[in-house]
Amino acid sequence: MALSWRTAALAAVGLVPVLLVPVYAIVLGWALLVVLAVAVDLLLAGSPRDVVVRRVLPGSVRLTQPSRSELVVTNEGRRRLRGQVRDAWQPSAGATGNRHRVSLPPGESARLVTPLLPTRRGDRLADRVTVRSFGPMGLAARQLSADVPGRLRVLPEFASRRHLPSRLARLREMDGRTAVQIRGAGTEFDSLREYVIGDDVRSIDWRATARRSEVVVRTWRPERDRRVLIVLDTSRTSAARIGDLPRIDASIEAALLLSALASHAGDRVDLIAHDRRVRAQVTGTSGGRMLPALADALAPVDPALVEADWPAAVAAIRQRLSQRALVVLLTSLDPAAVSTGLLPAVGPLAHDHTVVLASVADPEVAELTRNRGTVSDVYDAAAAERTEIERAAVLVRLRQRGVEVVDALPDELAPRLADAYLALKAAGRL
Amino acid sequence: MTDQSAPVRIGGERARTAAARRWRRWRLPLLIAVVLGISVLFSVLIRPDLSGDPLAINNPGPLGVRAVAQVLGRQGVHVTEVRSVDAAVAAAAAGTTLAVVETLPLDQADLERLARTPADLVVVDGTDRTLQELTDGAVANAWDHAPGVRYADCQDPDAVAARAVSSSDYALAALDTRATVCFADPGTPGTGSYAVLELGGRTVRVLADSAVLTNAHVTEAGNAALALRVLGKHDQLTWYRPTLLSPSTGAGTGIGVALPPFAGPVAAWLGLLVLVVALWRARAFGRVVTEPLPVTVRAAETTVGRGRLYRGARARGHAAAALRAGTARRAASRLGLARSADARTVIDALAGATGRPPAQVADLLYGPPPTDDAALRALARALDQLESEVHHT
Repeated sequence: MALSWRTAALAAVGLVPVLLVPVYAIVLGWALLVVLAVAVDLLLAGSPRDVVVRRVLPGSVRLTQPSRSELVVTNEGRRRLRGQVRDAWQPSAGATGNRHRVSLPPGESARLVTPLLPTRRGDRLADRVTVRSFGPMGLAARQLSADVPGRLRVLPEFASRRHLPSRLARLREMDGRTAVQIRGAGTEFDSLREYVIGDDVRSIDWRATARRSEVVVRTWRPERDRRVLIVLDTSRTSAARIGDLPRIDASIEAALLLSALASHAGDRVDLIAHDRRVRAQVTGTSGGRMLPALADALAPVDPALVEADWPAAVAAIRQRLSQRALVVLLTSLDPAAVSTGLLPAVGPLAHDHTVVLASVADPEVAELTRNRGTVSDVYDAAAAERTEIERAAVLVRLRQRGVEVVDALPDELAPRLADAYLALKAAGRL
Repeated sequence: MTDQSAPVRIGGERARTAAARRWRRWRLPLLIAVVLGISVLFSVLIRPDLSGDPLAINNPGPLGVRAVAQVLGRQGVHVTEVRSVDAAVAAAAAGTTLAVVETLPLDQADLERLARTPADLVVVDGTDRTLQELTDGAVANAWDHAPGVRYADCQDPDAVAARAVSSSDYALAALDTRATVCFADPGTPGTGSYAVLELGGRTVRVLADSAVLTNAHVTEAGNAALALRVLGKHDQLTWYRPTLLSPSTGAGTGIGVALPPFAGPVAAWLGLLVLVVALWRARAFGRVVTEPLPVTVRAAETTVGRGRLYRGARARGHAAAALRAGTARRAASRLGLARSADARTVIDALAGATGRPPAQVADLLYGPPPTDDAALRALARALDQLESEVHHT
């Protein structure tokens, strides 16, 4: 049962008779009148038990994109349904305006649309649908809730896609370059074209020139059909918050940009998310289907508060790779975690594959290093310096084992990783 | 791409099982609450009607007079307590006793009405005005300078029968010969704890101090005898104890008279309104939905924690070493030195870049650890300065 403001107003009007005849009996009589009116209204209200609700949802939506949840409400009772329907969602689903007025004659349906604007990645779940059915006087309502399951998959925002056009342009520049700009073991012979002034004379193909009347040069293109395996670390170090978001969100952005770029460059991209076991994987997709599959697989991945099992991760990587490939580890340069877990495992891996470690740096540590106002600031700055020194030491040890390291702030990690990929590609190291 | 869920009936199987689950979860607390409520109700109903007010006939505490009232009752005296002048006057018929226990001062109008009643009066703890009105000026309040046990020392048969009573600071004095004062104070002739006089065909008895009646003191000396004899003269005893809440007629002093007559019903209506508004606002439209929140630990938390450890342990040596190493590392990379460069090389390169004497640079980067916080802060500043000079070159 629920009361409305009208009941309060009815009770308030009781002041008039009480002032006219100031005796307790009038108050008691008015109270009985209010109770009676509420009871009659409740008896005449349509039953919320006979309401049937069906939910219509878009399957998935990208973070920060508006969406909508629709409820098809059917009144299967014998009385008219006047009242309100609440479509409750988790707060991060951003369901504003989720209370709908309805007035349904028996047997009719209405479509109630709740706008959604998700504020967090992952699966956002619908809570209960509550139906409040008022009587004809609008004094009191019968109220009932029921679970109407609904799940909206919120994909990663992929804000780093704004970096994609410039990186694709760089990729195209690498295409069709003459050997004067790029000459390495990794570039492949592409085609022959006419010599123009400025081309390196060393790239002239003399045999082809001899067959034709003009001078012909060889052109090269970046190698294609290489394998890229992205390993997303979902262990405890990825849970730490940098700015407003956990570290893993920056890693996911970087993974998406790299995948988009690599698939355009003609490479095969696979991904696994790993902490102590494989938590999500995308393998064997390519072309236009790859990026949606990747976003869908990464959407519900949340950090687990466990220590990463790098030997297991390396085993999983080896199991998926037969030829030499680019292995991108999206983790963090946490000195303790790296030196105990990652360092021993990554050496042999770097021997067989090209390994890039991409880590999200924390601007707050740099901030602490610079801030030296008070004595306690100085101690904090000293601690931050120590952290930086340890990170630098770990970085050196990683590079000694042949691991490329990209250490960047959350916003810059995705483009920096893309640049590292392009540099490796240009150098033919894939 | 859209997903359609199966239709759900709001009052369907799920809702019923939810209701059943809710009932199962709440029935035990509900049962306990009902049992508790019933037991509280019973204890209230069964408990004898007791009071904590001083000089109340149903107060079993030290300040009450339940002992005297019960003994009187067993002796066949019907004791009734009244709280208003109206009730006192109505009950004070001829051949009964009206005890005026002045726990609150009575006003002139009330006293005049009490004085006109035909019943025998017993005045306890009377104020000056009360004694003036009810004894027609024959008895007045006085002080007893040496409290103790007093002996009757008069002709009144009740006082003689009691032989002795305990007395306190309060006493009475006879202003004319109509009054007989008993239990005189040897130090102050003419004063005593008890006075009696015939006035207009009835007997007025005055007790200077209510202590002789209370449960605490009634067993001392002859207090009990005096109390029972004074109060038990007739079959009917009306025990008038004034109260603030039920004022007398006319010029009363209670708060009730300050309010208009409709105040009570309006207050009741206000209660009704508050109840309805509370019921209206309290009912939630469906339950509160919770958010499964991710871990919210800042990544820099460990660094800040280490800083706090340094500070807590006053590890100035460690802190200074870290600051120096940081500066040397950045400056060295700025000047293009190898990571493995030794101290000598770094000092020379820095001295060359900043134009400072090598000894000063060496002291800054490799000097002794600071001895107090101020020195540490000064070192941090000096290192900053050195670094900014390197970066400017």
